[in-house]
Amino acid sequence: MSAFLTYLLNGLAVGSAIALIASGLVVIHRVTGVVNFAQGTFAVVAGLCTSSLLGLGLPHGVSEVAAVLAAAVAGLLTGLAAIGKPGTTPLSSLIVTLGVGVLAYAVEIVLWGDQPRSAPGLAGSVTLAGARIQTQHLLVIGVAAGTFVLLALFFGRTYLGKALTACASNPYAARVVGIDTRRMGLLAFALGGLLGGVAGVLVTPLRPISFDTDVTLIVNGFAAAVFGALTRPVITLVGALLLGVAETMAAGYGYGSHQLEVALGLMLVVMIVQAGRRPAISQEST
Amino acid sequence: MSRRLGLAAGLLVAVVTLVLPAVLDDSALAVYILLGLAAMVTVGVSLLMGYAGQVSLGQGAFYAIGAYTAALLALNGAPPLVGLVAAPVAAALSALVIGVPLLRLRGHHLAFATLAMQLILLSLAGQLEFTGGDIGLQGIPQFGAGSFVATSASVYAYLTWAGLALVMLVTHNVITSRPGRALRALATSEIAAASSGIPVGRYKLVVFALSATFAGLAGGIYCFYTGYVAPTSFPVLLSIQYIVMAVVGGLGTIWGAVVGATAITLLVQGLDLLAALPGMPTYAPSVLSYAVYALVLIGVVLFMPQGLVPAVSDRLSRRRVGVRP
Repeated sequence: MSAFLTYLLNGLAVGSAIALIASGLVVIHRVTGVVNFAQGTFAVVAGLCTSSLLGLGLPHGVSEVAAVLAAAVAGLLTGLAAIGKPGTTPLSSLIVTLGVGVLAYAVEIVLWGDQPRSAPGLAGSVTLAGARIQTQHLLVIGVAAGTFVLLALFFGRTYLGKALTACASNPYAARVVGIDTRRMGLLAFALGGLLGGVAGVLVTPLRPISFDTDVTLIVNGFAAAVFGALTRPVITLVGALLLGVAETMAAGYGYGSHQLEVALGLMLVVMIVQAGRRPAISQEST
Repeated sequence: MSRRLGLAAGLLVAVVTLVLPAVLDDSALAVYILLGLAAMVTVGVSLLMGYAGQVSLGQGAFYAIGAYTAALLALNGAPPLVGLVAAPVAAALSALVIGVPLLRLRGHHLAFATLAMQLILLSLAGQLEFTGGDIGLQGIPQFGAGSFVATSASVYAYLTWAGLALVMLVTHNVITSRPGRALRALATSEIAAASSGIPVGRYKLVVFALSATFAGLAGGIYCFYTGYVAPTSFPVLLSIQYIVMAVVGGLGTIWGAVVGATAITLLVQGLDLLAALPGMPTYAPSVLSYAVYALVLIGVVLFMPQGLVPAVSDRLSRRRVGVRP
């Protein structure tokens, strides 16, 4: 029983990290209609930055915040490439973000080499109802929960958040009332970078990150985001937690080598079911 | 481009293609063969993406299926020719099976689904017993037919370019036929195409299988040429490379795929030479090739969305007619 509880709690932590990546995807897709292939890259950039900054002797906290800001800058730059030029279609933008991800490989190898790097996180573990859980896992769950609450407040209660939502639901009307949709799109990319960065900073102590970890991160994040049809954050969160728990259970009960297949298989099933339920006409008009 | 000019250019290309394997040394021949194989896959990508409007980020998976099929057959004693024929067939059959559920997806969903398919396949190939796990399959016999055994690289060069010619011919016939027009129609709007009587689902499936067939054939030749296959031979970047080549050359044009594959291969090759110069850091080759793929892809998508071949032929035909752009 306690093994089950341990797997569950660890799964929730893994799921929370996936949720953070997925939330970045959702924010960007909601505002710009672009699926950002470079979302995993932001996490990698932040993770690698943290390990370097901590290695330089900077204190915890400062290093992590600086790394997250670096990821936000990466997000902004990706946005400039993907939607900076007027008239770029969302599918072209997807291919551009794919290119940005590959370009990041080159930069990352030059700066950090091609070997995985890690960073120390919170040490120790806590025992909850007979289940041991690493403190870092609890931190991941806590930060993800806080971030989702903040996001909900930001989109629901602030003027800026509402302007972002307006761009998503009707770009033309948003422009008419004086919202600069391009600037909002760039803001969404920066926010996506920030969220990806938070995920990267939290994950690096749990498992080492190298330049090509972004593929695993992005497919997991995308898998969670498709649960919420790439627009609904709450369902995305639920999807990410389910995914994290499913992966951890698979690993815990002896199918450790099939984690990736579990995530990808779930994603495919969800997408195909969704495609079957939505009529083709509504997909083509969007 | 006028018809006669096109014919002359085609003849010139054919002659150069046939002469090159006789004069190139082995290391240049390796580039020449890999270029031809990449072009073969890229023609399929160009057909699928440019003509039928379906994005596949997993084309490398069918390349891998072809390679593994031919390798397994050859290692188990089947004649190489059987392996070479089975490679495209196996790729096509798997595309038919995978395509039924997958092709219900559109746009970015399809892109991620095909990427997922390749990741699942690579992960399985790395774990299963009969595929040799992460080590892969080694000691694949040379290609041959009857008593003839291919020992020199130039045989593979001719085989590759014969394969490419076949692939281009098939593609040409597909796109100039009635189904070709149907494909172009369904790329614009599936609903409009369906309502004018085009069996959208079946056509998408067939073109998906056809592009997989090309990749499978290339994979089959590849495994005989290199003599080994492993999961690391087919990274996700390989699939992205085919997209880059197709986009650079011009989507939906046969020659564009060949020109794109040639341009990218030679560019990366040139940079590899540059990176091998003394004084360059050890990571230079991978960094330079990543950077080139990325910058070329971003640049072309943003500033030359039509690709090289359509852009050049547009300019040529404008000059002939004397219209200023």
